[in-house]
Amino acid sequence: MGSTAPQSMSGLPKEEADVELRLGDIPLRQTVELVRIDLPADRAEPLLERGVLPGCRICPVRSSPTGDPIISVDGSLLALRRETADCLCVRLLSDFS
Amino acid sequence: MRDLSTPTEGSGYASAQVKDEARSPLIALIGPPNSGKTTLFNRLTGLRQKVANYPGVTVEKYVGQVQCNLERTVELVDLPGVHGFSARTLDERVTRDMLEGRLEDLSAPDAVVLIVDCTRLESQLMLVEPVLKLEIPTLLVLNMWDELEERGGNLDHMKLAHLLGVEVVKSNARVGVGVDQVKEFLSGVEIRQQGLPPPVHVLSNVPRGLPLPMIDAFTERRRRVDKVVDRVSFVRPGPARSTEGLDAIFLHRIWGPLVFLAVVLVVFQSIFTWAVPLMDGVEFLITSSGEWLANRLSDGWFRSLLIDGVWAGVGSVVVFLPQILVLFLFLGILEDSGYMARAAVIADRVMYRVGLQGRAFLPLLSGYACAVPAILAARTVEDERDRLATIFITPFMTCSARLPVYALLIAAFIPDRPLIGWLMGYRAAVLLGLYGLGIMAAVVTAFLLKRTLLRAEPGSFVMDLPPYRLPSARSIGLRLLDRSKIFLRRAGRVIFAVTIVLWMLTQFPRLDAGPPPIEESALGRIGQVIEPAIEPLGFDWRIGVGLVTSLAAREVFVGTLGTIYGVENASDDSMVLQETLRRNLTPAAAIGLLVFFAFALQCTSTVAVMRRETGGWKWPMLQFCYMLVLAYSGAFIAVRIF
Repeated sequence: MGSTAPQSMSGLPKEEADVELRLGDIPLRQTVELVRIDLPADRAEPLLERGVLPGCRICPVRSSPTGDPIISVDGSLLALRRETADCLCVRLLSDFS
Repeated sequence: MRDLSTPTEGSGYASAQVKDEARSPLIALIGPPNSGKTTLFNRLTGLRQKVANYPGVTVEKYVGQVQCNLERTVELVDLPGVHGFSARTLDERVTRDMLEGRLEDLSAPDAVVLIVDCTRLESQLMLVEPVLKLEIPTLLVLNMWDELEERGGNLDHMKLAHLLGVEVVKSNARVGVGVDQVKEFLSGVEIRQQGLPPPVHVLSNVPRGLPLPMIDAFTERRRRVDKVVDRVSFVRPGPARSTEGLDAIFLHRIWGPLVFLAVVLVVFQSIFTWAVPLMDGVEFLITSSGEWLANRLSDGWFRSLLIDGVWAGVGSVVVFLPQILVLFLFLGILEDSGYMARAAVIADRVMYRVGLQGRAFLPLLSGYACAVPAILAARTVEDERDRLATIFITPFMTCSARLPVYALLIAAFIPDRPLIGWLMGYRAAVLLGLYGLGIMAAVVTAFLLKRTLLRAEPGSFVMDLPPYRLPSARSIGLRLLDRSKIFLRRAGRVIFAVTIVLWMLTQFPRLDAGPPPIEESALGRIGQVIEPAIEPLGFDWRIGVGLVTSLAAREVFVGTLGTIYGVENASDDSMVLQETLRRNLTPAAAIGLLVFFAFALQCTSTVAVMRRETGGWKWPMLQFCYMLVLAYSGAFIAVRIF
């Protein structure tokens, strides 16, 4: 079960050298892939139910007047808090993927 | 096309339980929030729907009848919009219990209509798997098909039907496209013969705080969904340009908050100024119909009960109907258009500071009209602790029932003089101050609660931002109709009972000639019993009686004083009322009384709705005592300062 689900950095290809990226660090309009959710299950669930799952593509499209990220996932727009965005580990998509 | 579903199970009648024999098939309508579920429900049922509450909780239950064709009618339940079935929120719990047939007053559904927004197919299809596992006839409605095509998306819906083994309908519920096909499906549903459906396949039920396995389970399910989505050659629609354009304004760093403030102001303005002519109209109707009745009845106890008791009492509440409808009209427009979600995002940071979240903005705003619908609206707050905290502070919002009391006392005691030139007078300043007082109490209370009883890690705030849509008059109209019914039913029951009891208390003990003087009536004696307790605040027994009766509803205070002074002076003119008040109350005590009303929880309906929403007496009792202590000490301090 879930043998391919990347739970640590070890399974990733070569670019692992760079530091762990958080969704909060990603500039607007840059699509990334979600690697891991650093939240306990009960608090991750609202995210999971809305399609924010490891492996999904996330694109920060706008920042709210209070500086919190608004992201696009599977064509849905979701508003997060900065604090939540900082719990989402992401990686840049390599050119060919 | 219809070969996949509605297995016709043998002959119908033999094995059905007695309670099933007479009923028509029951179909559950489910779907994620903002998928157009309620729009479809309204399309299908129109005016043939009724609202009630699910047993034990105040999640609203909409059940309606659908006339599928000339000879067939089925019952349709509009379940709350959910993203999953884990029972993390009240809505999810109700939805799951209904599907599993565990609700007392509803049997398990005979079929399911699952509606999804097909522009966001992948995440919406996450609901499909648990629904299919119920193994009952299912119809999948791909709503917003027009939008999918407009934005250049596409999918093979026949293939989807084939892969999932269910019927699939393309629809645009807003204008009614696809509704006939849904009706056709509904007409084929048979009453199910065997027992309960299997339990809903849930992914999480994990105890709080446990890591990972759930995430894996979600990922697995998502992989299966993705496979299906691939095989139906789903072309994802391009970005919604109009929504992006509007968000560029409404979520703009500068314009966003300005629009937000403007919206809040317009809502307020509508409650307090635009609704007034309507309220005057309703008041006129009540008074003139009361007079008409009074002239037709002979003088006696019955006329007194009907006119002074019921007509005046119930009338004083019905007057608020226009105000509540205007508020709900605006809230309906804001919500259906998609703006409310943006407002919640803008409000979130401020709410977060006091330990709440942006979703609490809607209930708190509603609280300025009436705490009862506001507490119901708190269901949108997903986190249970945040929801409780929101419910707890809602009664501090200055509801419209406080206004008649404020208006009377301010007119009687505060001079009509300018304070800051023509901009603001003393009276307006006092009114504004009372609003501020409520907000302050709410902020402090929330802050304390989140650090004591409801302490929790800050929740992960995730807010869906649905595309902007033009609200439909039909949906909003139906909702306003519901609201009026609920409100009038409340006025009809609670206030009716209270006013009759009150009236009786003024009539006994009976002297030989007729009703006793008010001091000697049962009501007057009750007032004198309380007097020692409120003397430190500078209130006499008359105010005491008013405080007791206003426990039913705040605005009853004005009517009660009217009755008491009216009985004493045989007149209940408002000017006379003000003058009598000035004789019986010092200005300082009047300020104290205002402060008391700003804080105290004098509203049985609020207490009742809190009990249902929080599932017991603990919270409402705590709330009542807390607010009473706050009100008493606030008034005590105010009397000494002024």
